[in-house]
Amino acid sequence: MAILEIKHVSKFFGGLAANSDVSFEMEQGMVMGLIGPNGAGKTTLFNCITGYYPPSKGDVVFDGRSMHGLLPDKVCKLGMVRTWQKVRPLAKMSVVDNVMVGALCRTGSLKKARDMAMEQIKVVGLGQRSGFLAGGLPIGERKKLEVARVLATQPKMLLLDEVMGGLNPAESEEIIHLILTIKNLGITQMVIEHDMKAIMRISDRIVVLNSGEKLAEGTPQEIVGNPNVVAAYLGSE
Amino acid sequence: MKRLLDPETTTGGASPAGVLIAITLLVFLFLFPRMVSDPYTLHIMILLFLSTIMGQSWNILGGYTGQYSVGHAAYFGTGAYVTMMLMQYRQVPPWYGMWAGMAVVVAVALIIGSICFRLRGPYFVLASIAVAEIIRLSAINLKEITNGAEGILITEIPPFKLGETVITDFLTKVPFYYIGLVLALLTIVITWLVQRSKLGYYFQAIREDQDAAHSLGINLTFYKNIALIISAMLTSLAGSFYAVYVGFIDPPTVLGLDISVEIVLICIIGGIGTIYGPVIGALVLVPLSEALRSNLIASAIFKTGIVSEESGIGNFLKENLAHAHTLIYGILVVVVILFMPDGVLGFFKALTAKKHKEAA
Ligand SMILES: Nc1ncnc2c1ncn2[C@@H]1O[C@H](COP(=O)(O)OP(=O)(O)OP(=O)(O)O)[C@@H](O)[C@H]1O
Ligand SMILES: [Mg+2]
Repeated sequence: MAILEIKHVSKFFGGLAANSDVSFEMEQGMVMGLIGPNGAGKTTLFNCITGYYPPSKGDVVFDGRSMHGLLPDKVCKLGMVRTWQKVRPLAKMSVVDNVMVGALCRTGSLKKARDMAMEQIKVVGLGQRSGFLAGGLPIGERKKLEVARVLATQPKMLLLDEVMGGLNPAESEEIIHLILTIKNLGITQMVIEHDMKAIMRISDRIVVLNSGEKLAEGTPQEIVGNPNVVAAYLGSE
Repeated sequence: MKRLLDPETTTGGASPAGVLIAITLLVFLFLFPRMVSDPYTLHIMILLFLSTIMGQSWNILGGYTGQYSVGHAAYFGTGAYVTMMLMQYRQVPPWYGMWAGMAVVVAVALIIGSICFRLRGPYFVLASIAVAEIIRLSAINLKEITNGAEGILITEIPPFKLGETVITDFLTKVPFYYIGLVLALLTIVITWLVQRSKLGYYFQAIREDQDAAHSLGINLTFYKNIALIISAMLTSLAGSFYAVYVGFIDPPTVLGLDISVEIVLICIIGGIGTIYGPVIGALVLVPLSEALRSNLIASAIFKTGIVSEESGIGNFLKENLAHAHTLIYGILVVVVILFMPDGVLGFFKALTAKKHKEAA
């Protein structure tokens, strides 16, 4: 059974169709790449899936359950959580406190939450930074903090919105390893990324959005060989 | 990069020196009325406690949760009114009445929350002001139960008894001193407990970034309402205490916008989102407003000889400075926001941190 089913999702902002009739499915444990030119509607799709907006049409089924009418906090409790393209650190709280906020979704005990948080901080490689204010971290570490925080909520599925955006090649490489590590933990992931080489390496399958519509879906090999995809990218850049 | 050394936001234990200072201070405060019996000094101390309670209560909603209510007079005044009405018209002693006050305030807070929490940022601020004004106008117009603009004057507080022994008959300021002190400590302890709990983490997460908090599993409406209820209940307690202490309330003195503003100021001036902030804010604001009220500032100006007491300006100052506290508060806020965005406390912390750096 698919863990996530996107069923004919559309989202309109006034006259603009940011998503129009998007459908696809994801299997448990896979990494799905979500690509497309700027403004294609990738982030909007994340917002529709995780309860930020109700889709204008269509439905999202996660783990056999319709997400219709659920707000982000409920979606998170059910095991699906997203990171933010424009990072959102809790600036005046320390790194460990940020991650604890995620862990507290599963426990009422601060002590337990702290242990869970420290574990995830180590997974993403921020072990040396746990006592620093989140607002003062450089961008590469903020991105890692985003990932540690969502991991601490003990999700079944992660939606990562451009976690490599703005990073240097060495940092991107670390994130690629991190995504593969998370995959080995059995957590399903949907990953928005502009770096084609990276997305080819990490994705089991790829969905391409263009002007809100699903343009193509397939394995990385199928996608690179798809003339429509090549045209969409060349046309837009 | 900023390394976090502030023990307030981490859950580390207090230092032994800190504990010693706190205990000494507590013993001093509890013995104070035995050493000083001057009623005016006790009055100032009681006002300090009252301001601390008010500031600390607002702190939970405004400082920790980031919801800047400028309508806390609604809770202060409702607590004051319920306590006074029960005492004056139903002969219910205030130590029972205050609980009734809190219960009514919780209901009021839930209604206000359901209206205001739909809004964010400046819209929330405006809505909180509007709702408090509605309550003030209601108190003026519901003459049958509130006695309208005339207000309520206490004729007599019943003596507080345990069994047959009279603990106090409220004839001096001393019982009020101890009640104020205990309530102030209570609000400080509650804030401390909140800060060191899941609630505290969730409140601060909401303050820092609502969307991020929401995505991490925090039910925004629920936790904002919890913060509001705690905050409103403690503010109501402050209102009950004020009413019984002063012995008279009317709509402007307990439900007016300037009460709401004063509550916010105590916090902003001291430093929001910290336990010491409201205490420091009270230590700054109470003496300042007393100095203004008793025209101390005007006479100080005359003493320096800058302005002659007999001159036109002198007369103007004498007549108006006592009523200018709102203006002076406004100036104070501008100064604090411009030069001390983290309050007086944050300002001095930053200064010492700088000195440390230069020394190293
Ligand atoms: N809240 C909103 N209100 C109105 N229009 C919006 C809103 N959010 C997104 N849009 C519009 O919807 C379209 C899709 O935006 P979206 O952010 O989903 O694109 P994206 O694929 O994530 O782009 P990028 O790669 O730049 O992040 C854009 O034209 C955007 O301007
Ligand atoms: Mg985007």
